[in-house]
Amino acid sequence: MAPIIRTEGLRKVYAVGKERVVALDNVDISVEKGEFCCIVGQSGSGKSTLLNQLAGLEKPTRGKVFIGRHEISAMTENELAAFRQAHLGFIFQSYNLLPSMTAAENVALPLMFKGMGRRERLALAKKELKSMGLASRVNHLPTEMSGGQQQRVGIARAFVSRPKVIFADEPTGNLDSKTSRQVLLRMLEMSKKDQITFVMVTHEPSLAACADRIITILDGRVQSDVVPPEEERLRRRQALADELARDEAEEAARAEQENAGSEAPDAPAARQTTSAADAAAK
Amino acid sequence: MKIFDLIALSARNLSRRKGRTALTVIGVAVGTCLIIVMISFGIAMNQANEAMLASWGDLTQIQVYGNGTVYYSGSGGSVAVGSAAVGGDDQPAVLNDEMIATFTKMDHVVAATPFYQAYSLNGTITAGRGDRYSSSLGNAVGVYASAMEPMGFTLASGDWMTDTGSYGRDVIPVMVCEQTGYNFEDTRKSYNSSKRYRWYGQTDAAGNLLEPFVDVNKEDMTLTLSNGDAENPKTKSWKLKVVGSINPDTAKGWWTQSSFILRIQDVKMLQEEYKDLAGSNASPYGTDTTSYDQVYVKVDDMDNVEEVDQAIQDLGFSTYSMTQQREAMQKQVSQLMLILGCLAAFSLLVAALNIINTMTMAIYERTREIGIMKVLGCALGKIRLMFLIESGFIGLIGGVTGSVVSLLISFVLNNLTLIMAVLGGSGGGGGISDMMSMMGYYGTGSAVSVVPPWLVLLALAFATLIGLVAGILPAARATKISALEAIRHE
Ligand SMILES: Nc1ncnc2c1ncn2[C@@H]1O[C@H](COP(=O)(O)OP(=O)(O)OP(=O)(O)O)[C@@H](O)[C@H]1O
Ligand SMILES: [Mg+2]
Repeated sequence: MAPIIRTEGLRKVYAVGKERVVALDNVDISVEKGEFCCIVGQSGSGKSTLLNQLAGLEKPTRGKVFIGRHEISAMTENELAAFRQAHLGFIFQSYNLLPSMTAAENVALPLMFKGMGRRERLALAKKELKSMGLASRVNHLPTEMSGGQQQRVGIARAFVSRPKVIFADEPTGNLDSKTSRQVLLRMLEMSKKDQITFVMVTHEPSLAACADRIITILDGRVQSDVVPPEEERLRRRQALADELARDEAEEAARAEQENAGSEAPDAPAARQTTSAADAAAK
Repeated sequence: MKIFDLIALSARNLSRRKGRTALTVIGVAVGTCLIIVMISFGIAMNQANEAMLASWGDLTQIQVYGNGTVYYSGSGGSVAVGSAAVGGDDQPAVLNDEMIATFTKMDHVVAATPFYQAYSLNGTITAGRGDRYSSSLGNAVGVYASAMEPMGFTLASGDWMTDTGSYGRDVIPVMVCEQTGYNFEDTRKSYNSSKRYRWYGQTDAAGNLLEPFVDVNKEDMTLTLSNGDAENPKTKSWKLKVVGSINPDTAKGWWTQSSFILRIQDVKMLQEEYKDLAGSNASPYGTDTTSYDQVYVKVDDMDNVEEVDQAIQDLGFSTYSMTQQREAMQKQVSQLMLILGCLAAFSLLVAALNIINTMTMAIYERTREIGIMKVLGCALGKIRLMFLIESGFIGLIGGVTGSVVSLLISFVLNNLTLIMAVLGGSGGGGGISDMMSMMGYYGTGSAVSVVPPWLVLLALAFATLIGLVAGILPAARATKISALEAIRHE
């Protein structure tokens, strides 16, 4: 099967004053359809630069990027906008929700750009938010939500239009480790469910370990490109899910002890996340 | 992306920054308001001028004068003197029936008639027992009978005269006016006696209105020509038959109040008879049956008067029409408007700069949002459109506000005397009407400011256009924002 993402001799050079910074040098990678791919590497190694080239947010200095049969490195800005609208989704480290819009409206944005009617797209957005455990937050503004909640809105926004590929640059970068695991398992589950190719930059080895493909970048070059064996991946995902379940159980117990009267606010979502983790592990 | 969504998004963004939007809107509103009010002054002035001219004379009537005599007529009117001779030869143009036929055939000409005043014919019109009451023939005029109705005269009673109608042997048809009866004098009273005369509006000791000596609509009247020779008097008489009576129309001339109106063919017949009677005593003036001194030409519309006027002058005649006055007045008003309009346009320019500033700031503030929208696949054109709609909205809202305010201002100005009177005593309105008359506004009692619907629509469209144009640069800037730069940093 032909890879869905492919680069040929990708090179990106930044000119800073008179100096030239080679951020990417001769990168040849390919990602298969439906793969959950992690890009890891030291800070400043060029991970974000690579992701941006793959997503067509920036033009490479040299080389080509293909998504499916389309050479996106040769597209004009308008073509890219149309292509992104039709085929790509994005999740950002800093969530990047529109501050004036409610969670549901934010999630519905890509559908609005596609020209879907308001009622229809808001219904879809609410469904998506529900599956992210945010049913009670659909009409909240970003400022009224926690970071984890905002990021789940961001994920819902990326998935709502069922794109071919989703790009995420350190989506868990601003979240605590428990929330990070929740979010990762959620993304894993959703991309598996709809065969969505997922390309994610991350610093956390425990998260990267769950990926179908792990690309390590060092000084702008591909240091390694590993596809761990199937059983290994499933085992790691199960371990992550178990760990999360254990944490949640502990927390729930603690909360019950401390405050017998009131229930932990995120409890339903957490329960859902646990079952999602089980599903993703399969 | 649906246009409705774009509009909703723009509206939401505007309402997010209410204070700033309001300030910018006020700028546009002031400009729009100024423009509307200024133009409304101009329209009001033109309307007042038009009304004034109409009271001076019929705006669609041209008076044409035969060669040799130059009349000054109307209040303050001047006579344009044509100098060209017909066909280029030296033969002067003659104002005769053929020439009138030529006028009538011109585009936009409704009707034309000679206007003959019979003061050169020595004769009288008499009525009453023993012809006691008498009027000079100088009160008789001659016109084309068939032209009267198209010329715009209106019947008060009876019928129009016709060219073909037979009125009997030695009978001359005549039309009379409201006050024609007051022409008659009582010949039994001395010239010095005030009892010899009656005039319109005269009252007796008890204050009752006095009727004229003769009821022209009922009593028999006789027209008598005489040779004026005391030693060898010769006269000839005709019975007058009153066919109808017309309403007075001072715009067409004072003569419409109290004349005897005859058919031109009867006038010519009288001229010939008079020449027969008087022989060598007949005055050469007023007895020439081959040409007319004065002709009235009626044009279909005020806007075509100038064209017809020029065409007639080109034939070699002097003319007089109200258009000449009208143009001078309009020119004066439009010069004033130009100055005021420049002021208003200047304030709109400032408003436009204000919009540019507001939109540029909005784009700086929303750089990140624009970046997000771009990354999520919003087409560049839609982003541009979103900002254009926003700035267009500012223009439109400003236009609406300005229109409403200007309608209020217009209302207040038009009713200032009333409002002043209500607010605090009388005599308050003097100031503004003084000011208006300084600005070339003559009429009192009519509107100071006239705002027709088209002016409001035009102002709205203009304000919106200003908003859109002012939005072009900022919107283009928005599309150039690098999505990556915009979303990279917190
Ligand atoms: N716009 C730019 N102009 C100049 N240099 C840049 C630019 N963007 C990135 N670089 C440089 O390119 C190199 C790679 O940057 P990049 O952001 O891809 O690193 P990263 O692997 O994502 O790091 P981190 O993990 O800290 O996010 C760095 O040396 C950086 O300084
Ligand atoms: Mg990075």
